[in-house]
Amino acid sequence: MTAMTDTVARRPSSRRRQIDGWRWSGRIFLVFMLLYTALPMVWMLITSIKSGFAAMQFPPQWWPDQPTLASYEKLLDPQNSVGQDFLHFFWNSLFVSTTTTILSVIVAVPAAYAFSRFTFPGRNFLFFAVLLRNMFPAVIFLVPLFILMRAIGLVNTHGSLVLTYLTFGLPLAIWLLKGFYDNIPVQLEQAARIDGATRFQAFVLIVMPLSTPGIIATAIYSFIGAWNEYIYAYTFLSKNEQLTLPVGIQRFFSENTTDFPGLMAASFMMSVPVVVLFLLLQRYFVRALTEGAVKH
Amino acid sequence: MTILTGKAETVGRRRPEGGGLLRKIWDHRADYGYVLPAIAVMLIVIAYPIYYTIELSFFATPPGLQLRDKVFVGLNNYTAILTSPVFWTVTKNTLIWTVASTFLSFVLGFACALALHRDFLGRGILRAILIIPWVISAVAASYIWKWIYHSDFGIIGAVLVALGWTDRPPNFIDSVSTVLPSLIVVNIWREFPFAMIMMMAGLQTVPDQLLRAAKVDGANAWQRFWHVTFPHLRNVSTVTILLLAVANFNSFIIPWIMTGGGPSNASHIWITHIYELAFGRQRWGVASAYSVLLFVILMSLGYFYVRALSGNEQKDGAE
Repeated sequence: MTAMTDTVARRPSSRRRQIDGWRWSGRIFLVFMLLYTALPMVWMLITSIKSGFAAMQFPPQWWPDQPTLASYEKLLDPQNSVGQDFLHFFWNSLFVSTTTTILSVIVAVPAAYAFSRFTFPGRNFLFFAVLLRNMFPAVIFLVPLFILMRAIGLVNTHGSLVLTYLTFGLPLAIWLLKGFYDNIPVQLEQAARIDGATRFQAFVLIVMPLSTPGIIATAIYSFIGAWNEYIYAYTFLSKNEQLTLPVGIQRFFSENTTDFPGLMAASFMMSVPVVVLFLLLQRYFVRALTEGAVKH
Repeated sequence: MTILTGKAETVGRRRPEGGGLLRKIWDHRADYGYVLPAIAVMLIVIAYPIYYTIELSFFATPPGLQLRDKVFVGLNNYTAILTSPVFWTVTKNTLIWTVASTFLSFVLGFACALALHRDFLGRGILRAILIIPWVISAVAASYIWKWIYHSDFGIIGAVLVALGWTDRPPNFIDSVSTVLPSLIVVNIWREFPFAMIMMMAGLQTVPDQLLRAAKVDGANAWQRFWHVTFPHLRNVSTVTILLLAVANFNSFIIPWIMTGGGPSNASHIWITHIYELAFGRQRWGVASAYSVLLFVILMSLGYFYVRALSGNEQKDGAE
């Protein structure tokens, strides 16, 4: 009798212990990943508030003796040449990324809608051709695009960047949005059209609002991609006042190789806009992936 | 599979109308307006460059890229590549880089997604922090890690010395034997969040009832994962791994900024090598031939990519 209750009582507890084992290894793993992810960023921040002298010490100062914001002040001060350049790069990046984002939404939304709703000949072929763009590295296109841009006079303009950035945002944008439109019932539009709306009105008034999360996700993706792009900007632009942040920072610090606090401060400020944007809107991104790309 | 059903579709579609393909295209002419902007951009920026790269790969073009002075050299550019010893070093590096980065990013990202699937206090914050490396620019990431690996003032070296493991801080990215693994660590740091997001999205589609039913039937955590969760995620996993593999195969910024391919080519991968051949040494013909080879490799990868995606499509149609 007691033996029986014993075994009955023991079995669930042993199972619980097993589950707890999984849960604990999961927690330990997450702590490890948190350290792996966060420590480099923490070290970037700590270095950025050191003086140049304090950064170059061995053993390092784990926390600076005299924390200073001098690097940030230097980068944001329009009076000196460093600050002037940095602010220039910042505005260039902002301009190129915003233009790319707006254009890619304008181009991707109708395309995705068509791929989702219409059955024109060559639809599948074109859809996969668009997706295949994702496969190819920038470097393959670099030489011919450089020749092309030179021929149409876009070298050393931001237009060359916007045009190329559009293409690598588009495939994922179209794919994500198509998944969204696939999930919106056609009947909704049909109802609107019976009520007298044109196809375009039905699209703008019914379908667009329902796909807002997808559009937001697409926009974030394009913006981040354009903001962080390096190779094309590195190749197409040569005038100092036109550079975008990644290239500008690289040019600048290949001349001042020892200013690590300045470099870390610049890296931090370059990351702030995209990180903030992404953290504010990340739930749309995950939702768009779930509804648009994964759930089929 | 896909090709077969595609054919059946067009045949089935064409017969009732009886007007042939041109007629059908004409009937649907308005539909093309929607995709035209996307296709136009793609044609200018993709089709034209591909054509041009193939053409350049059969010519020797002078360093200044004066196209009028290019000379036809047949397959010389290709034989030059395959007979150079650098080619094999770079290919080996590319393989190690791509396979290690893809595999580890996927495993770490998937594990994070699983560990974050259950709700707990601070889950949202933790998830947000883990995603940040994916969002920040690869240029910033390269500089951060370059500073961490610094041979004199790097923090990892300092920690190792403080713990008494070594007398001198090790040279992570200036030594032939450690440079590639060190760069792979940076790459994984930036890539695993992508796998995590994709797999988190995938996990949300696994039906809870099935998991609960399996639990009632006495399946332990591992069995539930292996027999219920994992089969549901096969499609997402394939797409994620392919996207990671392609992205890693194509990476440029991290090796380029951190080492420029050095020391003695130990961290050169295909893309950085092509870039250096083209814009560094201005050997446009060889660089283009390299690009064509790369293109062929990617097309075969692309075949699997499209198959994985159209697998999704077909399931979609069946539903």
